[in-house]
Amino acid sequence: MDKNREEGRITQIMKFTPSLSKQRYQFIKDLVWKYKPKKVADLGCADCTLLWMLKFCRCIEVLAGLDICASVMKDKMHRLSPLPVDYLQPDERSLTVTLHHGSVANKDPCMLGFDLVTCIELIEHLEESELRKFPEVVFGFMAPSIVVISTPNSEFNCLLPGVTSFRHPDHKFEWDREQFQSWALKAASRYDYSVEFTGVGHPPAGMEKVGFCTQIGVFVRKHPPTSDSAQFEKPAEAVYKTVFKAVYPSLKDEKYLQHAVVGEVVFTAQFMKGSLLDRSVLEHKCSDHPAACKSGFQPSEDLEKLVVEKGTEPYVDGSTFYVPLRTIFSFPKVNRLCGTFEKLCKLIAGKVPLSSDGSAVMLNTEGE
Amino acid sequence: MAVRARARARGKPPGQETGIPAVGAAAIQPAQQRQQPYARGRHRDPQNVPQQQIEKKPEGLQLSVGFQSLCIGDRGGHRKDYHDLGVNTRQAMEHVQESKTGFSGNVIKLCANFFRLTSRPQWALYQYHVGYSPEMEARRLRTALLLHHDKLIGKSYAFDGSVLFLPRRLANKVTEVFSKTRNGENVKITITLTNELPPTSPTCLHFYNIIFRRLLKMLNFQQIGRHYYNPEDPINIPNHRMMIWPGFATSILQYEESIMLCVDVSHKVLRNETVLEYMYDLCRQVEERRIKEICAKELLGVIVLTKYNNRTYRIDDIDWDANPQCTFLKADGSEISYIDYYKKQYNLDIHDLNQPVLITQRKRRRENFTSGPIALIPELCFLTGLTEKMRSDFYTMRDLAVHTRLPPEQRQHEIGKLIDSIQRDDNVQDQLQSWGLGFDSQLLSFNGRVAQRERIFQSGNVFDYNPQFADWSRETRGVPLSCAKPLDNWLLIYTRRNYGSANSLLQSLFKVTPSMGIRMNKATMLEVDDRVEAYLRALRQSITPDTNIVFCILSSSQKVKYDAIKKYLCTDCPIPSQCVLARTLSKPQTLLAVATKIALQMNCKMGGELWTVEIPLKHVMIVGIDCYHDTSSGKRSIAGFVASLNQTMSRWFSRCVLQDHGQELVDGLKVCFQTALRDWYKYNKYLPSRIIVYRDGVGDGQLSALVSYEVPQILDCLKSIGQDYSPRLAVIVVKKRLNTRFFVQRAGEFKNPPPGTIVDVEITRPEWYDFYIVSQAVRNGCVSPTHYNVIYDTSKLKPDHMQRLTYKLCHLYYNWQGVIRVPAPCQYAHKLAFLVGQSIHKEPNLLLSDKLFYL
Repeated sequence: MDKNREEGRITQIMKFTPSLSKQRYQFIKDLVWKYKPKKVADLGCADCTLLWMLKFCRCIEVLAGLDICASVMKDKMHRLSPLPVDYLQPDERSLTVTLHHGSVANKDPCMLGFDLVTCIELIEHLEESELRKFPEVVFGFMAPSIVVISTPNSEFNCLLPGVTSFRHPDHKFEWDREQFQSWALKAASRYDYSVEFTGVGHPPAGMEKVGFCTQIGVFVRKHPPTSDSAQFEKPAEAVYKTVFKAVYPSLKDEKYLQHAVVGEVVFTAQFMKGSLLDRSVLEHKCSDHPAACKSGFQPSEDLEKLVVEKGTEPYVDGSTFYVPLRTIFSFPKVNRLCGTFEKLCKLIAGKVPLSSDGSAVMLNTEGE
Repeated sequence: MAVRARARARGKPPGQETGIPAVGAAAIQPAQQRQQPYARGRHRDPQNVPQQQIEKKPEGLQLSVGFQSLCIGDRGGHRKDYHDLGVNTRQAMEHVQESKTGFSGNVIKLCANFFRLTSRPQWALYQYHVGYSPEMEARRLRTALLLHHDKLIGKSYAFDGSVLFLPRRLANKVTEVFSKTRNGENVKITITLTNELPPTSPTCLHFYNIIFRRLLKMLNFQQIGRHYYNPEDPINIPNHRMMIWPGFATSILQYEESIMLCVDVSHKVLRNETVLEYMYDLCRQVEERRIKEICAKELLGVIVLTKYNNRTYRIDDIDWDANPQCTFLKADGSEISYIDYYKKQYNLDIHDLNQPVLITQRKRRRENFTSGPIALIPELCFLTGLTEKMRSDFYTMRDLAVHTRLPPEQRQHEIGKLIDSIQRDDNVQDQLQSWGLGFDSQLLSFNGRVAQRERIFQSGNVFDYNPQFADWSRETRGVPLSCAKPLDNWLLIYTRRNYGSANSLLQSLFKVTPSMGIRMNKATMLEVDDRVEAYLRALRQSITPDTNIVFCILSSSQKVKYDAIKKYLCTDCPIPSQCVLARTLSKPQTLLAVATKIALQMNCKMGGELWTVEIPLKHVMIVGIDCYHDTSSGKRSIAGFVASLNQTMSRWFSRCVLQDHGQELVDGLKVCFQTALRDWYKYNKYLPSRIIVYRDGVGDGQLSALVSYEVPQILDCLKSIGQDYSPRLAVIVVKKRLNTRFFVQRAGEFKNPPPGTIVDVEITRPEWYDFYIVSQAVRNGCVSPTHYNVIYDTSKLKPDHMQRLTYKLCHLYYNWQGVIRVPAPCQYAHKLAFLVGQSIHKEPNLLLSDKLFYL
């Protein structure tokens, strides 16, 4: 074989594209995409990178992280906070992100009821005593629908230059495929899970026999847990310490829904007033230069073309402009937010100036 | 100014540099475009960092980089020196070595929004160098190895990979410890004490600020731009699709006596509108062929937030040839379209596939990245702040002011709440204690002085004004002006619709002018069509060499007409002009008051004088300089320059300098000074023996450039006037946008300090010759003091005289019968630069240079 090509291969071995950690995270993202879990916990969340990636998955409503080291979590935990934009346009879904400081060898009720629990490159950091308790805590106590466990495949180490014993000084062990699989199968059968093995980090051509660089076990619970048993085992006290908690603004929260609806109603009314009073300007614009727009850029949602039902047109009385609520309700955005007309009326009561019979939004025409 | 211009030069719109394919490129763009994804910085792999770059960083650089790691999630990079630390101008001025304080006026007890930083006795920051043997490259690895020794390092530390800061001293000057790498390799770590930093050192100050930002984050504040805001309690203004976040602007600096924290309430205006929605809105309002131009005008320079990260970006350009289906190169070299990228990375859907792409220049260079433009998708960006259009909308501003203009009592209360929560929060206190720091819980109190009230002289009459309002419009009503110019021959141009307004204005002017001493003939009335060309034709046909002034009544605030009229009358045909909106004249009950103001303004524009104050200083020329930055059209900057022509400071010479980006202001300044001195000589038959320059428009962090470039250039220029001419010079930097607030306590309530309040102790900076003056009065909200920093002074004026002269000059702005925030020359210079930048875009005709035509 050509020497240059061999060298090229070796550098390929050393470096995965995308990086191995990204491949592991992508694996979890794909899994989330497939199973759409609502509550996800990451055990050994370290600098919260996976949690940060998962917060963009719109099916997830509860995210939790657990790590034995508080400082590494705290280092970048603020990226799990809601963004300014999340407050500006609250999402339909609710999302709560919590970080706990504690050990996977201990049971804490805050870890109950999850759909997916991930343990990425975690178990190899556990002391023997902790590893012994681990299956009972994760499969027995937390008992989520799905558990994902990844760990280095020691058979691959011969391809990693410079790795003599373990890949990381903190690793307590590194298993080959057989060791991992026998441990996993034992745990699965004991706690009534099925398990499938896969991995990320493909070996280079010709070396397929060593398997993936990272081996992964995906455990799926066979039967829904009887709620009684979980209740019984529930320890009375919490042992984890909460280091971070962020509740994302959501339209499920009445306060944010009201803000959004009031904002949309007032804006829509203003818009109608503006377009009605400035009709001449608009018509002038439309007649001018019919086919001048070369960029193909145009408003997609044309508010002006909305058909307004008969008897619900906005009207002017003295210096007051009235926009019937029915009309406002027919605007898609308002409609989507409220669902029903009654809900709309309830949400804006007392927040938007209404006509005496409460059927129309009042705006002042003076000065503007 | 010079600095800003240079910074702009880097921020060249990328559209000009990169060859962007032809229109309609829905197809894939060549991937070699330099547009890069924003997420790059986040995922960067430290192993990719070339070795030499880490090793060969100069010591000074490491120090500032050192703090990057310290701030949690803070935007890294080399931050600008916003506080102008390290510019020591006082040491060069002998007469203020001992004292820079004044003495005249009545003493007043004041509080300010400052809190002393307290620290344990003998507190110091210890700087260590951390070396690895064998050498380790990756910063993450270096940090991990060091942290194996957390018992030694302790809870509070700051480490950037080579420089370690600790709040206490390790037992030995050199400490050696051993760690083991993942490969089982033994590494010797040598921690060597390199520096013991006293609390007042610049590094320490920087450090305090970072610690404080950490605290704000712990209190759940969110950083937007430079300040921190509370997202939990926003104020919604649905009429304007706005949301206001209350928050705080904070900084910790070394002040005259001690290190203090300055806290002021700040409000962030966020808009509940994506850039795309805003563009749709513009589309509905304007003709399609102008949409690109209008979007550029409204959006360039605007700061946006994105849906997916917590960064702000400034829109520098709009790429109309690109769209979300275009591709770019990711960090790993693969090519991906914007749509796919956002779907994959953030699970965000882009709906409008025809929208253009926004371009922003990376502001701060990260150490290891070549800086390139970043592309943003309008649909995923939210607008922040106010556009020029919104700022000029009275109703928007009024609705905003209700929430943002806090009266003193309330402002003080909000500040107190923050200090309270700092004292109460356990985590925050933990953090502070681990570093051995703390803050006073009381507002700083000290003594200021209230300058003696000025008397207003108007053609032989002397007036005192009510100091509470700092306004003398009532007192001087019906009194002849100091120098009235006749309206013998003037034009009044109006459209048919405004014939009534024109007539009633004329009647009112006839009523108000006689008592002012203005002789007035009936105007030549010209009715025109409401078109730009019609106005210009009327001007061309009717202006004669005898025309005193042209008066135009405009039917709506259409800028095009105003600009065209002003441009013609300031450049081609130099005649003073007065434009008024018909709406202003529409209310009969206010018409007389309006006519009075108009008469005063017209008189000034024609070269008249209104009033004077007593200025004992002789042979002094006062200069005012301010800048206007035109962000939309070609990023030009305009410097307005005005200089006094007489002893009473009632007549002013003016010129302006137009500079394209990258050009230095100083070249133009030279010409200004030369012509100003020539005109002074014409008026006075001698040259001034003192020149005092008030320099406005200096941004945060630009002081050092001013000191090292602009002042020497002014000196050079004065030297070139004549061999035996060496006037005394003082240069004073005027700053209006401050976070400093003063309060007086009256009957247990916090109030604004009275106009004329001067502060030159405690909150001034020891390395500067600076002072604060509250010259104006405000009706609502908190008064904002103006900061004066004398950066060069051979005038030999005592600080007290300098302060009083400055205060006197705040009385001389003829467009306002009262005291203003800045010395009149600064406001004149501002007006001039604004007019030229907004409307004329050309240097005005020099025939107008001795008139206040720009009012």
